[in-house]
Amino acid sequence: MFSKKVILYFACVLISFNSVAQNCNLTIEGRVLDEAPNTPLSYVNILIQELATGTTTDTNGNFRFDDVCPGHYHMTFSHIGCEGDRIHLDLISDTILNMKLSHTPTSLSTVLIEGKKSNIILQPNLSVNRQAIEDNANHSLSSMLEIEAGVHLIKNGSGISKPIVQGLYGNRLTILNNGIVQSGQQWGNDHSPEIDPFTADKITVVKGTSAIEYGSGNLGSVILVEPKRISNDPHLHGQINYAFETNGRGHNVNARLSKYTPLFAWKINGTVRKYGDRKSANYFLNNIGTEEVSFAIQLEKSLKDRLFLDFYASTFNTRLGILRGSHIGNITDLERTLISEVPFFTEPDFSYGLEAPKQHVSHQLVKGKAKYFLQEDQILELILAGQINNRKEFDVRRSGRSDVPSLNIAQNTFNAELKYTNEFDGKWKLKIGSQNIMTDNTNNPNTGILPLIPDYFSWKTGQYTTLSKTLFSIDWNIGVRYDYELQNVVTISRGIDKEIVRYKNQFHNISSVLSTKYEISNSQSFSWNIGYATRNPAINELYSNGLHQGVSGIEEGDIDLVPEKALKNTLEYKWIPNTNFSFNSLFYHQHFRKYISLIPQDEIRETIRGFFPVFKYEQTDANLYGIDISTQFTISNSFFGMLKYSYLKGINTEDDIPLVFMPPNSFFGSLVYRTNKQIGLSKIKLDASEIEINNRYVFKQNNLLTEQDFVPPPAAYNLVGIKISTNIISSSYKIRCFIKADNLFNIAYRDYLNRQRYFADDIGISFTIGINYKF
Amino acid sequence: MNWKLLVVAILCPSALFFTGCDKDDPVIPNEEELITTLNYILTPQSGGDVITMSFQDLDGDGGTSPTVVGGTLSANETYDGTLELLNESETPAEDITEEIEEEDEEHQFFFQSSISNLSIAYDDEDDDGNPIGLSSTLSTGAAGEGNITITLIHEPTKDGEGVSSGDITNAEGEIDIEVTFPVSVQ
Repeated sequence: MFSKKVILYFACVLISFNSVAQNCNLTIEGRVLDEAPNTPLSYVNILIQELATGTTTDTNGNFRFDDVCPGHYHMTFSHIGCEGDRIHLDLISDTILNMKLSHTPTSLSTVLIEGKKSNIILQPNLSVNRQAIEDNANHSLSSMLEIEAGVHLIKNGSGISKPIVQGLYGNRLTILNNGIVQSGQQWGNDHSPEIDPFTADKITVVKGTSAIEYGSGNLGSVILVEPKRISNDPHLHGQINYAFETNGRGHNVNARLSKYTPLFAWKINGTVRKYGDRKSANYFLNNIGTEEVSFAIQLEKSLKDRLFLDFYASTFNTRLGILRGSHIGNITDLERTLISEVPFFTEPDFSYGLEAPKQHVSHQLVKGKAKYFLQEDQILELILAGQINNRKEFDVRRSGRSDVPSLNIAQNTFNAELKYTNEFDGKWKLKIGSQNIMTDNTNNPNTGILPLIPDYFSWKTGQYTTLSKTLFSIDWNIGVRYDYELQNVVTISRGIDKEIVRYKNQFHNISSVLSTKYEISNSQSFSWNIGYATRNPAINELYSNGLHQGVSGIEEGDIDLVPEKALKNTLEYKWIPNTNFSFNSLFYHQHFRKYISLIPQDEIRETIRGFFPVFKYEQTDANLYGIDISTQFTISNSFFGMLKYSYLKGINTEDDIPLVFMPPNSFFGSLVYRTNKQIGLSKIKLDASEIEINNRYVFKQNNLLTEQDFVPPPAAYNLVGIKISTNIISSSYKIRCFIKADNLFNIAYRDYLNRQRYFADDIGISFTIGINYKF
Repeated sequence: MNWKLLVVAILCPSALFFTGCDKDDPVIPNEEELITTLNYILTPQSGGDVITMSFQDLDGDGGTSPTVVGGTLSANETYDGTLELLNESETPAEDITEEIEEEDEEHQFFFQSSISNLSIAYDDEDDDGNPIGLSSTLSTGAAGEGNITITLIHEPTKDGEGVSSGDITNAEGEIDIEVTFPVSVQ
């Protein structure tokens, strides 16, 4: 028996339902209403792209497609003078779509951008959507990405984490917040990206070969944190998210409001988080709490359908504690800590206290964007943005100096970008762009400690062009980019008499990419990408000098480093034979010339604080290769499953030894049971209730030599989680509730990429309860 | 194309402008917390020359290697030991010993010797009655050669088992100083 479901759209929000059906006799029917007066819209063009069939709505706004096979479809809704909409439909049963289109002559761009190929679509990518962001309200930006195949996290405790994509992180991974290259001290392994994930509607990981448009330095992978355009809804809409996590007694509150007015459209977003000590399976992890306050405002204005103006401003402020017991002195200290079962300074009680060692970081962003349609297929964009990043790190010091930061860096960045796109009536797509970034990095001398990285001023300019075209049923995209970077660096010499030494560096970098996608059939496609990129040594790789307290080592840069070069190939195969099954595999291979990494030296340096190992930035040739596999399947109409596996190997080919700090292989699986029937009374219904069981298995990092680390890599571990969620729907609001348990069996484990693993176990069992209210 | 010209026109002047940007000279931080020198001053109770063992590293972590001066002690002698910590990168040298005295509950020195019959006992205590180690008593036995290691632990667990009698095993905390002197007992 078929149960017909109603899918209700508010602008672009999609909820898809599944029911019994396997044959090609499904119907999609529905009605399109004008959003503001709520009247039927006639003559709306509706196209199912995959079937290339279309229809128009009748005078009552109704439409109907018959004899449709189950499958994934893209439908476009367009109407003269309306904001068009493009939706994705996972068709399993007969479906009713109730669409609302905004009958206001504003945003032409939504259709244009979404409907046409952009460069990155050809490159393998995956994204976290808004619901996943809301359901992970207790997570940071980085940890939201963790379940994706090929994405891992470098952590320091629990609050500090940064993503690692196909083995690339830090200086090699670009993060774009709202289209702007995130500035700050991104080189540090213990520096999280300063972005509130709640400001985003979508977080995309591009696992490509060379993201030409997104600045120099990225050697293939880019993370895009993007808010959606504000819908043209004249009513005030908003949502409130709240999540409480038992482990850490963490509170996460987020609120968002948006409204369209004839003058402009606006959206505001605010988030507050507070966490205290976490608990591992057997003991508290003291002083790893978090306090975070962030706020963002987004304004949009369109003029005469030709000029679109965007303004975005955000402030992000965080205080992150670091496990006191992981803050150690010299190498003897490390050895003492390693044999201790429970980390030093472990307290028997929970506390919200945040003492040194800790980090206080603030990041401000202001962005303005103007997009002008010269013609319908020609766009000119100007983006200007400024960022202010201030990072203070506090160590445990004598005589009350714990309140004085040991590292205090202010970084101001200014971005200016100009982009021209011409689609030549949809036959070609040409993009020409220029990006300019100025960075001014200044240490505050009140630390009383010689700075780890010097003051500098850098100016980067990049010019690029990309061209897309479909030829011989293959989608092609080629791109070239040239970057010039000037660095004016002012260092302070070591030695008894401190001197100021200036360096002026100039770098020229070339990147290029060729992407192709071939659809063998409706269900199978191949994409092959080849990209060449160069990255000049970053300031920390050239000039860092001093004790990295958290790592118990002396790090030294090398001023003679040359740019590293990388050639990356990816081959992606997608197979979606029917709606019950999909398979995706992505092979990648990246060859590096002059790969820069921190290499332990034979020297053990004697200081008054004892002996310290010395690490130096060195260059070598290297290979990075791996595979990310994911598959999704439907067992019955209520059971869905997902499996993901990623394998990665990094080799220093010059010395034929493994690359250090590479993610271990991992496996993720989940099984979901979803109720297809709405339960409840006439006005309030429980909809799409789900139970999910997930399992994450992380292998031991075996690709490492004993002498490459202080201790052998931690053993493999398996974490089981469970999540129950439901949606309470009435005509005027929607409430989503979830409860989940992570590390259900309270396993004591340590992760290879967590810096804290030398000292303490990772987080034990944790329950999170969350509620999301939308109106 | 006109638009390309516009691109060039906007970007080139800015390019010229920014290349001229230089950084000002940074203020060199005053490393007031730095400890450059540790002196262990031993005065024989039966009279005689004062022996000073010293560890000196004037330029901090990097640069030139530290200078370590050990000592020659007399057999079967008892010495009054005093520790002195200095920051000699400043003129006049700053006495860091005072900082330790002010925070004596959060600091403790540990003495480890590889020479048989050489023992070092605490001769001072903080307000809680726990040892600090700025003052100590060193007793030698028969002649021998070896090392003395002096360790300063910040925020130790002073009530840990054996810690107040000088056993570092359960002291936890964080090592601030660790120096080793070659010592000969004659």
